[in-house]
Amino acid sequence: MPHTDSPYDAVIVGASLAGCAAAIQLGRAGHRVALVEKQPDPQAYKRTCSHFIQASGVPAIERLGLLEPIEAAGGQRPRVHAWTEWGWVEAPPEQASRGINLRREVLDPLVRSTAATTPGVETMLGWSAERLLQEGGSFAGVAVRNPEGEERDLRARLTIGADGRDSRIAELSQVPVKTSPNARFAYGAYFEGAAPAHAPDASVWFLDPQWAAAFPTDENLTFYAAMPTKQRLPEFKRDPEGALVKFLADVPEAPPIREGRRVGPVLGKIDMTNRMRRPTAPGLALIGDAALAADPLFGVGCGWAFQSAEWLSDAVLPALGGEQPLGKGLDRYRRRHAKELRGHAFFMHDYSKGRRFRPGERMLFAAAARDEKSAVIMDTFATRQIGPAQMFPRMMPRAIAVNTRHALAR
Amino acid sequence: MSAAVERSSLLAGGTRTRLLQAGPADAAKAVVFVHGNPGSADDWERLVGAAGAAGWRAVAFDLPDFGKTVAPDGFEHTPFGYAEFLAEALEELGIERAQLVLHDFGGPIGLIWAMAHPDSLAGIVLINTGVLPGYTWHSLARIWRTPVLGELFQAITNRRGYRFGLNLKEPRGLPPEFVDRMYDNYDRRTRRAVLELYRATPDPGGMSENLIGLLAPREIPALVIWGEHDAYLPSSYAHEQQRAFPSADVHVLPASGHWPFADAPETVERLLVEYLGRVGAPAAA
Repeated sequence: MPHTDSPYDAVIVGASLAGCAAAIQLGRAGHRVALVEKQPDPQAYKRTCSHFIQASGVPAIERLGLLEPIEAAGGQRPRVHAWTEWGWVEAPPEQASRGINLRREVLDPLVRSTAATTPGVETMLGWSAERLLQEGGSFAGVAVRNPEGEERDLRARLTIGADGRDSRIAELSQVPVKTSPNARFAYGAYFEGAAPAHAPDASVWFLDPQWAAAFPTDENLTFYAAMPTKQRLPEFKRDPEGALVKFLADVPEAPPIREGRRVGPVLGKIDMTNRMRRPTAPGLALIGDAALAADPLFGVGCGWAFQSAEWLSDAVLPALGGEQPLGKGLDRYRRRHAKELRGHAFFMHDYSKGRRFRPGERMLFAAAARDEKSAVIMDTFATRQIGPAQMFPRMMPRAIAVNTRHALAR
Repeated sequence: MSAAVERSSLLAGGTRTRLLQAGPADAAKAVVFVHGNPGSADDWERLVGAAGAAGWRAVAFDLPDFGKTVAPDGFEHTPFGYAEFLAEALEELGIERAQLVLHDFGGPIGLIWAMAHPDSLAGIVLINTGVLPGYTWHSLARIWRTPVLGELFQAITNRRGYRFGLNLKEPRGLPPEFVDRMYDNYDRRTRRAVLELYRATPDPGGMSENLIGLLAPREIPALVIWGEHDAYLPSSYAHEQQRAFPSADVHVLPASGHWPFADAPETVERLLVEYLGRVGAPAAA
């Protein structure tokens, strides 16, 4: 018989960004939380990540009290400059939104130690989820196991899967999942040396359909990323660093990658299949990439991890406080998740096909490159602070006017 | 960095052509630029200057009936006729070892020359051209190759249509002055030459396997630059060049079209100068 603890209010599987953010919030609200992580090392961090956090994620981070520590640790607050064939799309500096760039090597331990020292949070490093516990048709915790073979049943009113795009919890709970293919792959690495032109701001290149980016970050490093379509894969597999450098050096207004020196490994991700899961089941919720693993091209993963953790905590706190049934809170979370992210995900997944821009997209990008106000709307959308339903009605009439004026002026 | 480009003329095989030259004028080793269709020596002005500044002798000239150059009576507007003109021009210039820089139809012309003079080919830079195994003509070439339709098409092409049609297929649009100059050179003679040239080339990929067999064992240094969104010669051929030139350094420029030296001039210049630096000392040394 495995050892059984007295029930927790919540058990969270995965102590990366989303899991820790949820643990901090629930712990601070006075709940007893088990935070389970299979990596035994408290300094563990996610390696294959561009580490860029969109501006949409900043308020959630600020609310956790993490913004100042992040900035103190060297975190940058970049705006985004996007190259298109019509020119750079860049909102005026005072109106452009700022995200966060801090290497995961620094960010993850910082967030995890904050969670671990939050009253009510019990961190269990080196434990992995074996199976879900059930009670009366509802999930009721998780059975975990450590490398020594010791097993424990962690009973909880709410089970949270925060274990990433290949979520074990999602798999065990059999929530429905929708996948769509990604025609691109990703390679990236940190470089020291000459900083890119817009540093500390980030630069991305929409090369239609190829994609590249330069993210200046802490310690005067720059993370260079390439996300080409799969036909370019052979050259990257043959010589990852050579192909990455060549790719970045050949883009228009190229960043000074050749003058830099690589630090750390060249990271690659070949399969970036988009996964969208139903984020709730009775007694269970998924947050972060476990709920929605969207195309890394748009740099939304980290920000959405913090945001979805916030939406979940806000939605279930009344229930955990005994004011209402848990199902109600979970429904509220699922609706919020869909309302905030489904529109974005739809357009992202469509762009993952590796296709060229559609005429409508060409019109929007061209207008954003030619007109400051359009650039501000585009910036607010691309940093995920408004959804497509707010962006299109504001952007369309303006884009038509701007492009017509441009055509007539020639 | 760019050296002064000297403009003069050259008489080769009965054709008086325009000559652009930079660097040490009497070196027997030179960078030789061969333009495509429609194109002219002017396409290469920037790169001739850059190669000259890097210490190389660099030459570019109009092919007969392109640019401002008139072909003599009886000139054969075929890839072989043009390759022969290239051989005569190099001989006239005293160039014994060539680093060929080829674009578009300059590809087949230069490669035919290389087949006949394999020992004179010191290296090669292929810009949106090269061996094209299995290639079948793009739609515009098919129009040119069709009797009557080709003539009609050439007759009705005006500046506006030319500009529009060209830019329609380019990912970033080409500099207006570049397109205008191309159109200025696209006179009656050139239009007729284009029809003859394309009609004399039924199978543009036909010689590819022979070329590969001949060139690959020689391990000739090569640089391949290809605009990813070339509407005429697909960029999928970029890496195929390694079959003929196994050590080729291949760059597919993600935001460029058929004329990378016009829409990404800095990048093409950088790649060319770096390549010339790699393949050894300039002629003067």
